[in-house]
Amino acid sequence: MDINKRKRELVNEFSPMLEKTSIVSKLWIVALIAIILVGLYAFYLQLMNGHKITGMRDNVVWGIYIINFIFFVGISYSGAFITGVLHFFKGSWKHAIARIVKIITVLSLIIGPLFILLCIGRLDRLHYLFMYPRIQSPITWDIIAIMTDLIGCFIYLYLTFIPDFAILRDTENLKVPNWQKKVYKVLAIGYQDTASQRERLQKITEIMSVMIIAMAIVAYTVLAWIFSLTLQPGWNSTIFAPYFIIAGLYSGVGVIIISMYLIRKTFKLEKYIRKIHFIGAGIVLLVISILFGYFTFSEYFAKWFSHKTNDVELLDTLFSRYFWEFILANYIGVLVPIAILFFKKLRTIRSITFAAVIAVLGLWLNRYLIVIPTLETPYIPIQDTRPEFVFYTATWIEYALSFAGIAAFILFFKLIMKFVPIIPMSGIIDQERCEEKRKKGTTEQVQ
Amino acid sequence: MERNLLKYPFITSIVIVLFFSNATFAQENDVTNYRMGFNFSTTKQFDNSRLLEVSFIATNKKNRKDKVPVFNTEVKFYNVLNEEELLLGTVNTSKEGIAQLILPENQNYLTDDEGNINLIALFEGSDTLEAETAEIRVKDLHLELNLTEIDSVKTALVSAFTIDKLGEKIPAEDVEISFYIQAMLSKMIIEEGSISDGAYEFKFPTDIPGDVNDDLFVFAMVVDNDEYGNVTQSETAKWGIFHKHIMKEENSLWSAVAPLWMYTVLTIMLVGVWANYVYTIINLIKIKKEEDEIKLKI
Repeated sequence: MDINKRKRELVNEFSPMLEKTSIVSKLWIVALIAIILVGLYAFYLQLMNGHKITGMRDNVVWGIYIINFIFFVGISYSGAFITGVLHFFKGSWKHAIARIVKIITVLSLIIGPLFILLCIGRLDRLHYLFMYPRIQSPITWDIIAIMTDLIGCFIYLYLTFIPDFAILRDTENLKVPNWQKKVYKVLAIGYQDTASQRERLQKITEIMSVMIIAMAIVAYTVLAWIFSLTLQPGWNSTIFAPYFIIAGLYSGVGVIIISMYLIRKTFKLEKYIRKIHFIGAGIVLLVISILFGYFTFSEYFAKWFSHKTNDVELLDTLFSRYFWEFILANYIGVLVPIAILFFKKLRTIRSITFAAVIAVLGLWLNRYLIVIPTLETPYIPIQDTRPEFVFYTATWIEYALSFAGIAAFILFFKLIMKFVPIIPMSGIIDQERCEEKRKKGTTEQVQ
Repeated sequence: MERNLLKYPFITSIVIVLFFSNATFAQENDVTNYRMGFNFSTTKQFDNSRLLEVSFIATNKKNRKDKVPVFNTEVKFYNVLNEEELLLGTVNTSKEGIAQLILPENQNYLTDDEGNINLIALFEGSDTLEAETAEIRVKDLHLELNLTEIDSVKTALVSAFTIDKLGEKIPAEDVEISFYIQAMLSKMIIEEGSISDGAYEFKFPTDIPGDVNDDLFVFAMVVDNDEYGNVTQSETAKWGIFHKHIMKEENSLWSAVAPLWMYTVLTIMLVGVWANYVYTIINLIKIKKEEDEIKLKI
């Protein structure tokens, strides 16, 4: 196989993604920037006026910012987990989704923690967290875990990009701006695809992939401990850490399926992102949804059966004030994906994507029900106070910033796809190289 | 039908029992099936006030476990001497069938020549209940409890006496007395004995835990004495040994400095991960260097 010729072919195939931007795509970018600008304005108002313009008060000190944080970080950790596992699979099918998962992992790990910053009342004291950390506090563990994990994911993403940067650097007729070519050159760090370079890169990538699986589990466990190590009703649970990991995987796989669907449609990548990928991801989602449903049932059943006063009060709140949210999150959000994915005939690309959308929305609501009702039913309620000080309703500021976060996630995704092909060219070449080797080996054996 | 009833005698008997059970229940609820308990007692309390208490409870003649408190009935308390009658107070019974009257320390009683106080509790009766009365005769016993250290020995001293009409103290004799410590849920007995020549003394145990301030609440009690009724006195002393025996539990996670194991585990984990990052970067530098070597070869 002529490697250089094959590289040129692949660049020709994927370069339109990098070189051209359609009008629809431009409109999308404008719309996303507009949403982000509205979010920035909301942030400015929040900074000037303080948290009084949000729905957060004395009881509910964590609003939808924290929910978005858990949600995004959950997606990231599940992405890290999946990408690490994918690395050890052999087969060309994995290349179609591997890079999507990696980008989701890194982006959600950047966007998620930003919501924590929005939740902090005195941002001017943020540096105290690093200057005077209490190592006993799960919050400190979480900061350390997130920072370490973010850097790890960045390094891992970069490692898998290097061969593609090198291919793009070596492509002379690539119609991209000069600064972009210079960036390719710098980021390719002189990678020439020699056997020793390839071997070295593969070795460190493998170590990193093992590490980020472990880090994802540790970091998301720590995040779950922020809740479960407190004595709050609804949070103080021994199964919270595995429950969070399963929930993270549930939302992560859901977002991956949705991303696969959108990328496939936008860039017409039917050749690479095939139905088999959706069916595979759908079956994974089915297994995780059953596990998630099982954990959810165990969690609430134990609370109901123990009959502890505060747990009962919490369940009463969930089944009265949050009745529909509870039904949507824990019944519809679990049973509908199971119903769709369980039957072979229903497993079409569209239905699997629909199940993923339901799962993702259901899980966001599930996170909402974990955070808000618990804070609304504290052990020592504030006496004779206004209802708006006890009960939480998000304001437009919080929604604006939440949508800005989602818009930033999509915008960054689009920009990364403008910078490097979403299907790793080096991965395809490596795969073909391996197949050729195997064929050669078989032929020699026959002779 | 008749044949069926005869065929299944067991079921038939249950039906018959069920049929008559309601009537039986109504009959059982009749007041004539209950024996009235009208118990009167008096306790001289630690602040020298006197508690008069009547327990008015009806007990089923057939089933002694079936007890019904007679509540919201008026009970009158009298102090009586010969023909003279002094109404001390009128109290209604509670839901538990208890009527309590507390007389202050400075209450004037009618007493006979021997110093006896005659107390009467009276329920005047109603349409359904007959009148009940109970009488108690007690002497006003004074109890003084002192907790002191004699030659470094913790000692509890009690003096018990009555006061005659001339105001002279007459020591009590042969009065059974018990000493208790206030525990979490009830009183714990620590000493029993008999008062002789108006006094009782014992070496106080030194191994009793007190409350968080090391305080012990000690009670001296004369219970159901024929002559004096119930008399209670109490005193507090810092004789508890709470802090000496129970180690203060510390949660190291709430302390200013984290436990050593936490630093160790965190350091090992972080060093492990960051060392790998450094290793990765070193390898990336080597990849970069290799390019330079290739260029030199060319």
